[in-house]
Amino acid sequence: MIVQSGLRLWGMRAGYLGFGLVVILVHLMPGTFMPARLPAPDFIMALTFAWATRRPEYVPSIAIACVVVLADFLFQRPPGLWAALVVSGAAFLKTRGRFLRDLPFWVEWLNVAIIMLALHLGYRLVSSLLMIPQAPLSLTIVQVSGTIMIYPLVVVLSYAATGLRKSTPGELDPTGHRQ
Amino acid sequence: MAKERIKDDDYIGPLRRLLTAVVILVLTVLLLIWRIDSPRVERLRAQITDTVVPSFDILMTPLNATVNLFRDFQSYQRVVQQNQELRRELQQMKAWKEAALQLEQENARLLDLNKVRLDPRLTHVTGVVMADSGSPFRQSVLLNVGARDGLMDGWATMDGIGLVGRISGVGQNTSRVVLLTDSASRIPAIIQPSGQRALVQGDNSPAPPISFVENRDIVRPGDRVVSAGDGGVFPAGLLIGQVAQDPGGRLRVRLAADYERLEFLRVLRSHGTEVITDPGALIVPQDSPGLRQPGASAAEAKQ
Repeated sequence: MIVQSGLRLWGMRAGYLGFGLVVILVHLMPGTFMPARLPAPDFIMALTFAWATRRPEYVPSIAIACVVVLADFLFQRPPGLWAALVVSGAAFLKTRGRFLRDLPFWVEWLNVAIIMLALHLGYRLVSSLLMIPQAPLSLTIVQVSGTIMIYPLVVVLSYAATGLRKSTPGELDPTGHRQ
Repeated sequence: MAKERIKDDDYIGPLRRLLTAVVILVLTVLLLIWRIDSPRVERLRAQITDTVVPSFDILMTPLNATVNLFRDFQSYQRVVQQNQELRRELQQMKAWKEAALQLEQENARLLDLNKVRLDPRLTHVTGVVMADSGSPFRQSVLLNVGARDGLMDGWATMDGIGLVGRISGVGQNTSRVVLLTDSASRIPAIIQPSGQRALVQGDNSPAPPISFVENRDIVRPGDRVVSAGDGGVFPAGLLIGQVAQDPGGRLRVRLAADYERLEFLRVLRSHGTEVITDPGALIVPQDSPGLRQPGASAAEAKQ
């Protein structure tokens, strides 16, 4: 049995927050002032979902909410809406992660893709209900497909960078609870 | 196993779920507040942006620097290519500049030559360069004017700017001009402003050396070299060029005439210099038989 140290747990939580900040930073960087033809994929959502599937304790809902709501504020999105959706999607994946760990990767990928699509759908639905101006559908589709495409990359990179992988049955989380 | 898991979840699961639910609720409330009281939340957004983005500056500076580094690197990769392109363009520009200069000079020359008057009393005859010597050791050109036009041996030839050479060999329709750079060319000259007399000796180099300078110390590079009337060869005061010093310390003339492009040359009619033959007759009347013939004087000068 591998008992994770509390240091690693908090380190990974801080790492998640840090990564979120870096992504926001990169988006805010004054690079080109031309309108982007292809919107960048949502790295924050991909990372959140990858980690929520593997190690739910690394991405507590509050951390996700903080990062995404900050992104909401800074990216001029309706504050709270996308954050609430991502948090609920992550919460759903956290409960599913236990079953997904025994299944091949493509099942997980499919799950994540469906959730991402559902969240975007929900976003558009709520936006139209609240009469919030929306981004063009084509750009949204490009973005969500980009996010789905980079998901395996994010998984591989987080494994390479932090050794993040699916928990094995019987492994204990830092609080002493079985995964 | 499943029962155990459920038992474990009893502690932590509901709490987490509750927390998640609270978070989602708070976010939803935030959204609703924003929708209801947009200005207040927008002010909040502005405040958050105001606090967060400047603090990002610390991080953004190295990131920007990195991005710029990569961009610079990309441009460094293209530097060689750009350099070549620029060189090509520079070459074209040089060609254009050269063309402009040549056109300017040609224009000046043609403007000058337009003063040609078809009068037997005119002072110069204009000819077109037909050919050059064809030999690397003889510096001469062939003009399309000859004895038919009244040319005589020894007359000075100029382009629009400076002295080019002198007529040496006149055919019926053509004449040969021995250039100042020819190794057989010897032209008496005066260096201005010092007034030193000297001889410009062609030596098959682009800048003929100056020899027989009386006092070298008062001659400086950049001084004007003009022809002297000595020996009755040339009219005095024709511009030859400027004094220059070669690395060996020898004085040379940087010729004023454009030797790269000799196209139109004008042959100055020289009616000879009046020569005092006897001590008593200081001023020789114009129509006196004592006037020396120009051809004779030129033949004398050539010797």
